[in-house]
Amino acid sequence: MPIALAWASLRRHGTRTMLAMLGVAVAAAMLLDMVMMSTGMRESFRSLLLSRGFQLRLSPKGTLPFDTEASMGNTRELVRKLRTNPNFVAVSPVLGGSIHFPRGDSVVTSSALGLEPRVQGDYELVSGRDPLAPNEIVVNDELYRALGARIGDTLAVANGYDPQTREYTGVRRLVLTGRVRFLYGATRQRAAAMELRTLQQMGGSERDDASSLVMIRVREGASIDSAMEFIKEQGPRANLVSTESALDQVDMRLRYFRQLAVILGSVSLFVGFLLVTTLITVSVNERIGEIAVMRALGVSRAHVVQQIVLEGMTISLIGAFAGLLLGLATGRYLNGILSSFPGLPEAIDFFLFQPKAAWTALGLLALSGIAAGVYPAFRASSLPIATTLREEAIA
Amino acid sequence: MTAPAVVRARDLTREYSFGKEIVHALSGVTFDVPEGDYVAIVGPSGCGKSTLLNLLGAIDRPTRGSVVINGTDVARMNDRDATSFRLRNIGFVFQRFYLMPTLSARENVELPMAEAGVSKLDRIARAKELLAYVGLAHRERHRPSELSGGEQQRVAIARALSNHPAILLADEPTGELDARTGAEIIGLFGRLNRDGTTLIVVTHDEELASAASRKIHMRDGLIVDG
Amino acid sequence: MIIPFLAAVFLLQAPQRAIAIDERLAADANLKVGDRVTLSPIPETPGDTVVISAIVRRGTDPAEVARSEYRIRMHLDHLQTLARYGDRVDRFAIATRSESSIDRTIDQINSAAFGFEAHRSKDIAVGTSKTFQVVSRFHKAIGVITIVASAIFLLCIMLLKVEERRRDVAALRLMGISRRTVMRSVIIEAALLALVGSALGIGVGWLGSLFINWYYRGVYRTPVAFSIITPSIVTLAVTLSLVLGITAGILASLRLVRTPPLVLFGR
Repeated sequence: MPIALAWASLRRHGTRTMLAMLGVAVAAAMLLDMVMMSTGMRESFRSLLLSRGFQLRLSPKGTLPFDTEASMGNTRELVRKLRTNPNFVAVSPVLGGSIHFPRGDSVVTSSALGLEPRVQGDYELVSGRDPLAPNEIVVNDELYRALGARIGDTLAVANGYDPQTREYTGVRRLVLTGRVRFLYGATRQRAAAMELRTLQQMGGSERDDASSLVMIRVREGASIDSAMEFIKEQGPRANLVSTESALDQVDMRLRYFRQLAVILGSVSLFVGFLLVTTLITVSVNERIGEIAVMRALGVSRAHVVQQIVLEGMTISLIGAFAGLLLGLATGRYLNGILSSFPGLPEAIDFFLFQPKAAWTALGLLALSGIAAGVYPAFRASSLPIATTLREEAIA
Repeated sequence: MTAPAVVRARDLTREYSFGKEIVHALSGVTFDVPEGDYVAIVGPSGCGKSTLLNLLGAIDRPTRGSVVINGTDVARMNDRDATSFRLRNIGFVFQRFYLMPTLSARENVELPMAEAGVSKLDRIARAKELLAYVGLAHRERHRPSELSGGEQQRVAIARALSNHPAILLADEPTGELDARTGAEIIGLFGRLNRDGTTLIVVTHDEELASAASRKIHMRDGLIVDG
Repeated sequence: MIIPFLAAVFLLQAPQRAIAIDERLAADANLKVGDRVTLSPIPETPGDTVVISAIVRRGTDPAEVARSEYRIRMHLDHLQTLARYGDRVDRFAIATRSESSIDRTIDQINSAAFGFEAHRSKDIAVGTSKTFQVVSRFHKAIGVITIVASAIFLLCIMLLKVEERRRDVAALRLMGISRRTVMRSVIIEAALLALVGSALGIGVGWLGSLFINWYYRGVYRTPVAFSIITPSIVTLAVTLSLVLGITAGILASLRLVRTPPLVLFGR
């Protein structure tokens, strides 16, 4: 009966009930988005960092991987030492740079990665094959389209360009062997990959034996801490970053968004609560006579409270479910905006849907719905019956 | 031989404080109502009739005195016990009907039974029976807004009877009705009493008061006659 | 004997190159003016010993906010030598005598300086501010969602308010007060609610803005202003509130005046 009474009471003022549900839906959507945002970035980064199973990364001292143009020297010796550890399944050195493709009067510029194709963790092959020889290269779709080339074509590739003399430096002729998708590539960024040695040589003496990053994959079950100790003992002049510490550092930089998520999420929850409380309070005040009669008839205080709390919960829950759907849509839209950050890997999502997030948002709203109804319900059920009936009669 | 008393009121007193002023709404009222009796409480406005009814119905507590209904002193009960007692032992009919506007006639009659834990099938059957008794079987699905004043009051009476109460209390039951409809309600009360229901009504309506088997006159919070 | 000694003394006291460091580095490394430090292009290799001659405050460049870099300033030739950069620079910065001569200067440089390209600083700023354009779009999207929620909330509240007073309005209408008068009073009430609400909101926003700047300046150690309340923002907020409030008032009052007075009484 309380459910039937609660539902009947909500239907009595259909318009304002609908409006309240709509208001809760918008608040719920915002809450869900903020819950997704607060956890999504970190989880998305984690998935990306672990996508190829590399748990440790070495970058130039004082920097994060590819944060600056700095590089590490003595790469060959370092990699050789690291590969002596039986717990290291793969050691992948990577060098980053820019390359140019002269096309008559124009030039196509792109970023480039020098790596060891057999152990690399930077791209997935889409078509063709890996660049296994020193004179081979693979490109992503953006660069593929910009070049207008086909797999098998030989391309002139330069490392540098002197604008004063208008001469290209470090020129090589490389055969395009495949199309790839770079895991850490930014949206619409042109990129290519070739053998590490090739890019090093194109860079001249300055880049000989240089690398921007060394990734290490540790055998499953082996201790990450021991692995880190071993690496430090090899004495590299480098910054050693585990997945967790990389995430912590990224968290620091994106702290603003997490804090914004907490604040906006709290405000949304509060607004939803306020809306439902206001509606329930007014609704109860309108029906104070009916409530007094119910008490006079013998309906217990607990059942009166239950009915009113159910009204608040119903508005909150229906609004919350509608808000879940709305939140997924707005989350996609907001994700689209934030994903266009320059330099952000395409694979990163700010708003990652996790069922836990949805349940958290739903749970919070249900609780707020209950809380919204509790005070007006207790107040109404505690009013003196006789006095209330008399006042209602006079009114 | 007089039937045993269903209601025993002893030295009932009710006082209200308004700042330093104390209003004596009831001043030591004592009377009995035997089972099956039909009592009308009459008196000028402000004499304490409704206050007395509220005390008898356990929806208010006396400042002093006792109200024993079917052997239970309701004046000393806490809110929970008083509520439960009202549900199972007392039926209320109000001047303004106070039906739930969002429920149909039948659902309004079911409401106290649902609260008392009666199964759905049983309470539907009983509600239909009661609505037929008051002559509204054909209106069971109608909302209060679709019923006339007299029909609403009859639904309210059916509701008051749903849990087989020991007594039926009515506060100005014809107050909002025209003479013809009022007469229908008076007739219904008479029938209820003949069928064994103990009735206590508070009224200004002379017709209703005359239909009762006993009149209690009140003035200034005291019983002056009856 | 004396000459080598004097030469050694002379060498030991050779003037050292001076650098300026930023506040953050000074604080974190506990450095002050007059301290000597060693600079090298590669970590843990020999470098130049220099003296800190100044501590500088960074400019309000938003692009540097999330980067926890340290900056030092040194003479161009010193850096070129230290970093083995040769006679190269990354860019030139040019200040013209007047605003009107900028375009002419750009044309002259682009035609005469072989292999260089000149740009207005403003254009470069636009090009490099894409990050903040993204953040700005994000904030606007959040703002729109908030406005939608506020509008719904406002409409709901107004509906509740007019419902509460339906009997009063019914009595007024029965007395002969016109629909227009009733509507006008509801709309004025809604507008006042909106105005007072927006004033409160601006106050809260201003305080929030102070807090945000204080907090994030501390977190990111930057003088950049993260939140600025301008007259145009205040005007927009007040105007929007009024529009939403009046619209809610109109919709709510229309519902009220279209209902016959007796129905409002519940008869």
